[in-house]
Amino acid sequence: MLKINNLHVAVGGTEIIKGLDLEVGSGELHAIMGPNGSGKSTLGYALVGRDGYAVTEGSVEFEGRDLLELEIEQRAAAGVFLALQYPVEIPGVNNAYFLRAALNAQRKARGEDEVDSIDFLKSVREQLKILKMDESLLKRAVNEGFSGGEKKRNEIVQLAVLEPKLAILDETDSGLDIDALKLVAEGVNRLRDSQRSFIVITHYQRLLDYLKPDRIHVLSDGRIVESGDASLAERLEREGYAFLDATEA
Amino acid sequence: MSALMEKLVPDTQAPDDGGFGLARRKALKVLMQHGFPQRKTEHWKYTPLALLEKRALQGPIAQQGERPPAPPALPFATGLVHLHNGVLDPDRSDLPSGVTLVAMLPEDIHFSELDDSGPAHAFAWLNIARFAEAWRIGVEPGLECRLAVVMSFDDGFSGVVHPRLKLELGEAATVTLVESQQGRGEGLCNRVFDIELATRSRLTHGIERASAGAAMIDRTVIDVGRDADYRAYVLDGGGPLTRQDLIVNLGHANAHGSICGVAILHDRSLVDYHTAIEHRVGPSTSAEDFRILADDQAVGVFNGRIHILPGADDSHSTMNTGNLLLSENARINTKPELEIHAEDVTASHGATIGQLDDLARFYLRSRGLDDNQAISLLKYGFAAAVFDELPEGDLRDWMIEQLRKRL
Repeated sequence: MLKINNLHVAVGGTEIIKGLDLEVGSGELHAIMGPNGSGKSTLGYALVGRDGYAVTEGSVEFEGRDLLELEIEQRAAAGVFLALQYPVEIPGVNNAYFLRAALNAQRKARGEDEVDSIDFLKSVREQLKILKMDESLLKRAVNEGFSGGEKKRNEIVQLAVLEPKLAILDETDSGLDIDALKLVAEGVNRLRDSQRSFIVITHYQRLLDYLKPDRIHVLSDGRIVESGDASLAERLEREGYAFLDATEA
Repeated sequence: MSALMEKLVPDTQAPDDGGFGLARRKALKVLMQHGFPQRKTEHWKYTPLALLEKRALQGPIAQQGERPPAPPALPFATGLVHLHNGVLDPDRSDLPSGVTLVAMLPEDIHFSELDDSGPAHAFAWLNIARFAEAWRIGVEPGLECRLAVVMSFDDGFSGVVHPRLKLELGEAATVTLVESQQGRGEGLCNRVFDIELATRSRLTHGIERASAGAAMIDRTVIDVGRDADYRAYVLDGGGPLTRQDLIVNLGHANAHGSICGVAILHDRSLVDYHTAIEHRVGPSTSAEDFRILADDQAVGVFNGRIHILPGADDSHSTMNTGNLLLSENARINTKPELEIHAEDVTASHGATIGQLDDLARFYLRSRGLDDNQAISLLKYGFAAAVFDELPEGDLRDWMIEQLRKRL
């Protein structure tokens, strides 16, 4: 589904990603871990095309298409979704309106019909129920006045409604209490199928205990320096990132 | 005599019509003495009155004898007062039982609070000196009703008109007043609107305006009675010259006044808003939230004053003005003012001027909206917040619909 080859990304003239290679197959869930400042969030932003995250070298192929040629919204319509580490507040725009506008914009871009209002509301309410969020959220402005946990869960509601093919979760587990973490993990697990892939950026093994990733990668100084199965996360939890220095030495 | 004086007051004789002569003579005297505001006149420095000097204004419009075109329809049933080119259209004005429309009497014209020591209130004096028609709308006590005052103009309108209106709400009346003003042509409409709320009355006042040509200078003064409640919701698209003075007098205990408004400005349009909430007696409460979105080469001005006078103890007030600059060539001048001379009061104010948040724009695009949709949604979110307090219903729906059309 996703093939990243020798990716270099600069922010404000400083190279953050320095030659990253990654392949994610259909239905796979990959976790990316790594110390602060290693480039994890930069990778997420670069994949969805945020301005200021300049790809200076390398390629990204998504379902056979050159992802880097697409505008931000075209990438969304193609099926790439980034759950932000710090979801943005949009005062004055209620969640239901925003979600429906986003869904219809994507469907229109794909040549599909607009979603029926009743079906839409039904689908959103179902997702809210799964994530134990109050229906009043639909009338509230996007993320405005939400607690940290509500914002993160709201990202998963969006993910569930928009049904992307590739979801990148940027530290969605940070700031969540144990119950909220379980809810988010359950929300993600419900969405897993053979056609949908995930890249989960996290610092902690506890989310991965619920998600059971297919592969775990360690990002350091803009490159993937270690890849492995679930046991790699356990090792990081035990030893931290100190072993990276030993490896590089 | 200045060029503007020659254009707007070519005849210094005051007609002694129906007992208005005294007021008209006084008004002309003030005008002759102080003239019109100049750029150095503090509260008029951003109002481009030079535009009026350039226009070939034709003086008062005579009725042509032709029936004016129908006013723009409102999507809900309401009693209607229609002014076309500043003149009452009696055929299309229709008010419900319990609401009267009569010509004003001399005692309806109040000018004791107008400044006669300088040019600051020159246009209000001009209105007194030159109004051709003055109408008083009365709402009987206890009545609940919905009214509309619609002002329309011909494309060929090039006159100077000075409509004058007064709305009186009887005790415990509850009124929703919708004003729609669509300026056209190249003339000047210099209106004065006095509103009086008797004890325990309530007025929800929606104001929607845009001018494709006519200069609009408007002074609306609201006197709020004991336990009465006034709430204005403004949507202004501006025009070549749109000047609004909106004064809310809280002169009785437990009076409340609020002004929530948004100006959406494009091209070279201009809006100059001067609001004043006068707490004269306590306890009283007020709130103000005014926002300007200026694009292209538009100019937005907001001067909001909250004045808590001596003795108005236990008054509480909040004011917020938020502004979005949407182009490098747009300009916004905003100035919140608080003046407090009483005890046990709370008063707060805030003012911001900014641009669209790039991160929010990215966030919306990352969910599939294109850049134009994202910008439009962010503008909508910023602007629509002023209507949050407007109760759900068809007035709110209509205001929101008009807002969407302008974004």
